Amino acid sequence: CGVYLCTFSGVEDELELSAVRHRPEGLEQLEAQTRFSRKELQILYRGFKNECPSGVVNEETFKDIYSQFFPQGDASTYAHFLFNAFDTDHNGSVSFEDFVMGLSILLRGTVQEKLNWAFNLYDINKDGYITKEEMLDIMKAIYDMMGKCTYPVLKEETPRQHVEVFFQKMDKNKDGVVTIDEFIDCCQNDENIMRSMHLFENVL
Amino acid sequence: MAAGVAAWLPFARAAAIGWMPVASTPMPTPPQDKRKAQDGLIILNVSGTKFQTWRTTLERYPDTLLGSTERDFFFHEETNEYFFDRDPDIFRHILNFYRTGKLHYPRQECISAYDEELAFFGIIPEIIGDCCYEEYKDRRRENAERLQDDEEMDMNNDVTPVNLTFREYLWRAFENPHTSTLALVFYYVTGFFIAISVMANVVETVPCGTLPNRSKEISCGDRYALAFFCLDTACVMIFTVEYLLRLIAAPSRYKFMKSVMSVIDVVAIMPYYIGLVMTDNDQVSGAFVTLRVFRVFRIFKFSRHSAGLRILGYTLKSCASELGFLLFSLTMAIIIFATVMFYAEKGSSASKFTSIPAAFWYTIVTMTTLGYGDMVPKTIVGKVFGSICSLSGVLVIALPVPVIVSNFSRIYHQSQRAEKRRAQRKTRLARIRAAKIRGTNAYMRYKQNGLLIDSLEEEAGQALVGKAATPPFESQHHHLLHCLEKTTNHEFVDEQTFQANCMEISVMNKSGSRTSSLSSSPHGLSSCCSRRHRKKSSFSLPSTNNQELSTIQIRERPVANSRSSLNAKLDETVPLKCDEPYITPSMVSLSAPVVTSSDGDSSTTTAYSQSNIVRVSAL
Repeated sequence: CGVYLCTFSGVEDELELSAVRHRPEGLEQLEAQTRFSRKELQILYRGFKNECPSGVVNEETFKDIYSQFFPQGDASTYAHFLFNAFDTDHNGSVSFEDFVMGLSILLRGTVQEKLNWAFNLYDINKDGYITKEEMLDIMKAIYDMMGKCTYPVLKEETPRQHVEVFFQKMDKNKDGVVTIDEFIDCCQNDENIMRSMHLFENVL
Repeated sequence: MAAGVAAWLPFARAAAIGWMPVASTPMPTPPQDKRKAQDGLIILNVSGTKFQTWRTTLERYPDTLLGSTERDFFFHEETNEYFFDRDPDIFRHILNFYRTGKLHYPRQECISAYDEELAFFGIIPEIIGDCCYEEYKDRRRENAERLQDDEEMDMNNDVTPVNLTFREYLWRAFENPHTSTLALVFYYVTGFFIAISVMANVVETVPCGTLPNRSKEISCGDRYALAFFCLDTACVMIFTVEYLLRLIAAPSRYKFMKSVMSVIDVVAIMPYYIGLVMTDNDQVSGAFVTLRVFRVFRIFKFSRHSAGLRILGYTLKSCASELGFLLFSLTMAIIIFATVMFYAEKGSSASKFTSIPAAFWYTIVTMTTLGYGDMVPKTIVGKVFGSICSLSGVLVIALPVPVIVSNFSRIYHQSQRAEKRRAQRKTRLARIRAAKIRGTNAYMRYKQNGLLIDSLEEEAGQALVGKAATPPFESQHHHLLHCLEKTTNHEFVDEQTFQANCMEISVMNKSGSRTSSLSSSPHGLSSCCSRRHRKKSSFSLPSTNNQELSTIQIRERPVANSRSSLNAKLDETVPLKCDEPYITPSMVSLSAPVVTSSDGDSSTTTAYSQSNIVRVSAL
């Protein structure tokens, strides 16, 4: 009886494992689809595969990895939003292609594309509008990453205030939501934001 | 920690673009990544066995031999590889550490050889992964015990801290008798008197011959009444003194009085006092005799002297459910069989089975296979059921006993393991906390470095401070954290500063000053604090365990929140010409060797070490 149970669970494990194994497309195709060079893709894939030997990263692993960069706070909520932003086909896992496409936009894309990506990140339900609630969720997630020990002390209403400031700047027609055009317009007129968009260009 | 996922740092930095539209202040400049195309394969030849890995893999841990320039000493020009004359089997584990971020301990290796290799390659054993840590610590302890045969492992218990109060000292002496010779003497004396008292109780009842004018034998206790009374008095005095001393020394008297041992102590000495109080009249002498029975509880005082007895008592207490089950099943069986035997024997003449409760005695004696023979069934039916009773008795009694025994052994091993785990948990939490603090301090240092370089660059047009070779991963990670700070307009501080701030804020709130009104802008609070900080002339130095105090520096506070402050910085951050000196505590964190190298570099130029930043933002 015990033996039968063991083999049964073993078969289940095997099935599960083979179902989620994923091999990326060839190097040439990825080179054509993204703006990375061959060497850069190699480096990226090696790092990717090291953490996710099965070839796809699910949300738990994603949160785990991202949290290691922010040990003082809780990065899991923001990692969740990031995961949704990278998982463009919404199938619950980020494959290497998704990963590399996202990075290509972020590191080598035009400012328009980057702003588009940021808008997509903030728009949680992907309906084309950023509402105050969505922004508040994102803001809280960002502030969560700071953790407890900050100076000045983080208060309950700090994210909300930050959202108010953001909306005052972005929401031109004061209708309570920010559309993609308002967003891109406003960002392009802001010097700080424009400059910071070019910050990470030589990351890889 | 984060170095294990160093390959994902570019992703984390790219994702930081998501913060940019939200941030209201400009981002800090990223560190220059000077060595771009340096990712090559490195060949490591360890006593003939060749290992190969990427250069970046090794450089994840720059404070070890392989990750730093120290490996250049082992570079072999002719073969263009790094040669190490060490054990290749153990080296495999060390190299795996670089690859996966987890250090494992191979069980078949000798512990001292492994330790030597770790020390050679500059890896501290504390980062051994949880899967192997227990084993490693066990082996290490065994090894140390083998080396130090005579000395006890817990020598540190003997070190008496001088500032114990008398009460604490007394309590310690009672709880750990081997701390001082006086305590040990007291321990043995009480043990001796417990034994004497118990023996006296026993001997008292032995018949001691007859009195000349009586035919009845009297007990020794009645014959030498005075002697026994004196002995009893002496014992009770000792016990009373001991109990009172323990009561005085106990840190929590209420808790002490509730504890089992104190109840036993009280029960042991009460009969004597009650006997003293009661007069010698016949009515209460019966009760008085009964009270003497309680004197036998003195034997339980031995459990202070024996750890095994305590474990047994604890086991019985925790096996209460099994014991209860045993009792319950026995009761069920007794009732069933007693009923059956009663009705079976009802017919026979002169049967001893007069009632069901009377049959209980038979059932118990039979089931426990005692078989006194004072009650035996006479009818055939009675004998049949009697035999079934004795057979089932064996089963019912035998079943729960192994359960109890296994419980005992489980609890015993559990208590051993729990103690080990408790001791390790403290160190584990301390490790995690230390790592966190190290990370925060490293980050503070990075910010200091960055600001100073910025200001000096502005001044002199070139980087004067030779920044120590902070590895690119570290500086990029810090830049990322810096961006997060800019996005949220809050800064990371370490725990001590945070606690200090909280206390200050609460004090300020109490005094009802302007901070009670919540300002709309996030800078409001900081400006109030900054004004207050300027008034202060000295800071109290926060005390920490693993940080040394270096020289107390008088320097200007660099202010850094807006672009306009950059101009202010120029005036203020020239160290030696200052109008408003602040005295700030500066602390050197001991943790990472990177500290020493950066300290060495910076001490030649500006002689500043990283300071505990209580930031002042000028607005």
